Amino acid sequence: MKKKSLLLLMSLIFVASAVVTGCGKNNNTEKESAPTTEPAKTNNAAEVKVNDEPFEITIRHTQVGEAKKFRLAMLEDVVKQTEAAVPGLKIKLDAVDSEVNRKEKLRGEMAAGKPPEVFDVFGSPDAALYAKEGLMLDLTSILNDLGIKEKFNTLAPFTYEDKIYGLPIGGSIEGYFYNKEYFEQKGLKVPTTIAELEQVAEAIKADGKIPFAQSSKDAWIPLMTTNNLWSYYAGADITYGFKTGATKWTDPNVVKAVAKHEEWVEKGYYKKGELGFEYADMRNQVITGEAIMMMDGSWANSVFRDPAQAGDMVGKIGYFNMPPVNAGDPIIVMQDANNGYGFSSAVAEDPRKLQAVTEFIKNMWTDEMQLRGLKEDGVLPAMKISLDQMKATSDDALMQDIFKAVSEIGTSFPAFDALVQAEVNTALSMGIQQVIGGEFDAAKMLENVQAAQEAANATK
Amino acid sequence: MNKALKSPLTYILFILPAFILFLGFFIYPIFTAVNNSLTSWNGISKTMTYIGLDNYVTAFNDIAFWKSVRNNVYFIFFSCLVQVPLIVIFSLLIANVKRLKGLYKTAVFMPSIMSTAVIGILWGFIYNPDFGLLNELLGVFGVEPIYWLSDKKWAMISILITNAWQWTGFYIIMVLAAILAIPKELDEAAAIDGATGFQRAVKITLPLIMPIVSVVIMLSVAGAMKAADIILVMTKGGPAGSTDVMATYMIRYAITSFRHGFGNSIAILIFVFTMIITVLYQVLIAKRTERIEY
Repeated sequence: MKKKSLLLLMSLIFVASAVVTGCGKNNNTEKESAPTTEPAKTNNAAEVKVNDEPFEITIRHTQVGEAKKFRLAMLEDVVKQTEAAVPGLKIKLDAVDSEVNRKEKLRGEMAAGKPPEVFDVFGSPDAALYAKEGLMLDLTSILNDLGIKEKFNTLAPFTYEDKIYGLPIGGSIEGYFYNKEYFEQKGLKVPTTIAELEQVAEAIKADGKIPFAQSSKDAWIPLMTTNNLWSYYAGADITYGFKTGATKWTDPNVVKAVAKHEEWVEKGYYKKGELGFEYADMRNQVITGEAIMMMDGSWANSVFRDPAQAGDMVGKIGYFNMPPVNAGDPIIVMQDANNGYGFSSAVAEDPRKLQAVTEFIKNMWTDEMQLRGLKEDGVLPAMKISLDQMKATSDDALMQDIFKAVSEIGTSFPAFDALVQAEVNTALSMGIQQVIGGEFDAAKMLENVQAAQEAANATK
Repeated sequence: MNKALKSPLTYILFILPAFILFLGFFIYPIFTAVNNSLTSWNGISKTMTYIGLDNYVTAFNDIAFWKSVRNNVYFIFFSCLVQVPLIVIFSLLIANVKRLKGLYKTAVFMPSIMSTAVIGILWGFIYNPDFGLLNELLGVFGVEPIYWLSDKKWAMISILITNAWQWTGFYIIMVLAAILAIPKELDEAAAIDGATGFQRAVKITLPLIMPIVSVVIMLSVAGAMKAADIILVMTKGGPAGSTDVMATYMIRYAITSFRHGFGNSIAILIFVFTMIITVLYQVLIAKRTERIEY
């Protein structure tokens, strides 16, 4: 009996100690969080000791896969510089697919109130929503201190109530990549109107090739074409009005634009069955010579300049803007800088982490890194860099085509998903797939989108 | 008997840890989901606005939701009417093979230990319209290429076949275990009485394995109601939502659109529908096949 009592007593002590240990505060953590530059209390007042106790921050990035290897290399270099500049800092890189990060992982972390210290984020509408909830770090004073606030082309997508909550990593435009060699062989010319573009497409189709590579499994891909078309037919400003109710998706000119995309599908300008194709498939269609033109973001140039990905097609791909409806009209192109990095508001509570983030910003957003991004990765700068400087940085023929396309832009607009609510984006994504699949025509599809828009506008 | 064991307090103490876990990880999340489903919460905000049953009304009035329910029903029918009979047939065949039984068991079980992502990619190649195995085979018979995952006529059946391929082996192993547990004497006695192999399978083995077949049906129905991963990997619910089931509908229309209140209402509907189906199955069918006495 005594033995049993002893055993019970010992068990109780063990459990109690485990519970007390589990509930106890880790004072070491508090010590680790002490400011870096604060003088350590030593006998010698003149001796200032820098706090170099190890601490860690996580950077969630989306540089996954072969196509993003240059961007990853740049990030790794910035990480090294930052670690070297901040004593004790260890940066953990957390790679996640862009779509998964944007739509699942980061949202889950935001819901839990615990995003990583640094994370890949889309400006509008995501960053504004997170900033509204106080989950993102206000960068305004950091940018002022570093003197780089005015150096960006635009920070609008990352601005909420006059405060800046994120920084774009690069800019982009949308246009057509095309097989230059094929154009030359067949005597085709870069089109200057939509009608000419259709003539080129007809000629390519008659030759047994696919005029436009497209993969519509992810609806944002065909919507690049649709977005540029409706901005020509209905004007670039029309998208701004959907959210306020000033304009409607059922506007006859928007219907005309979507009907034009529908017409191209019906005419067989896209590969049959492309509704089930992945993003990489359409690039492969161009690389294999199966398709001749492809609407994509300027970021795709890195694929066509990389021998490991594009093979023999390197040097044979060119780029042009979607042409206007009428000859001589200004070129209207999607141009924005909506993807970049944001920072957790929790960083502000820890001076050492704040220092690490400041150092990261200082190293990442420099003219040198922007030009390196342009040269190695083909990403247009998010910071103000002259066209001449850009042209001098990269002598690649495809990049020169893209620079030319940038110089031709008369009016630019941000992508539609930065201007409408997420549920409208969902309705539009569903709608364009229904049009491509022949389920609905343009008018019916846009009626559904307008209904989703009105429902979203009614919800505050 | 020890005094402690006579006290109800002792028993309460014993069940308390499990009960706390059950409350914390099952009951609490369900109540939270029910609570959230009555709000217009965006998934991030610290404040929630209660909107009553509006989310449920929105779902019931949405054609896309009912299309996704219909696809779940397809999943259930395909599981019960195609997959389960195949499971039973293959189990009976494997149970009666004399040689290489282990190889067959391993071969059929293999897909169920592969990740859904791998299976999605693997079958993506098989279904590829240009160079896929299936179209190559059909091409031999002069059949025009079929756009398995791009054509809404074929996309759902393509997913159902892939899903069945993934899980059939797992259930075969369960049924096989039940078949091998049947005392050999029963089969031998029937054989001595002149019963053929087919008769023994139908009249003796099948009735004796009905309890496990019933469990397989239950698991298949529950699996069919919560299916999502294989669809996300293969079609992302497309083309144009034609392969959306309730779970992918929830992701598309709620989670990715910052409508977590609505998403919770869909999750509750999935839970309720699954409960109704499984309870009905238990009450109407499964109870009758529960006990087997040799």
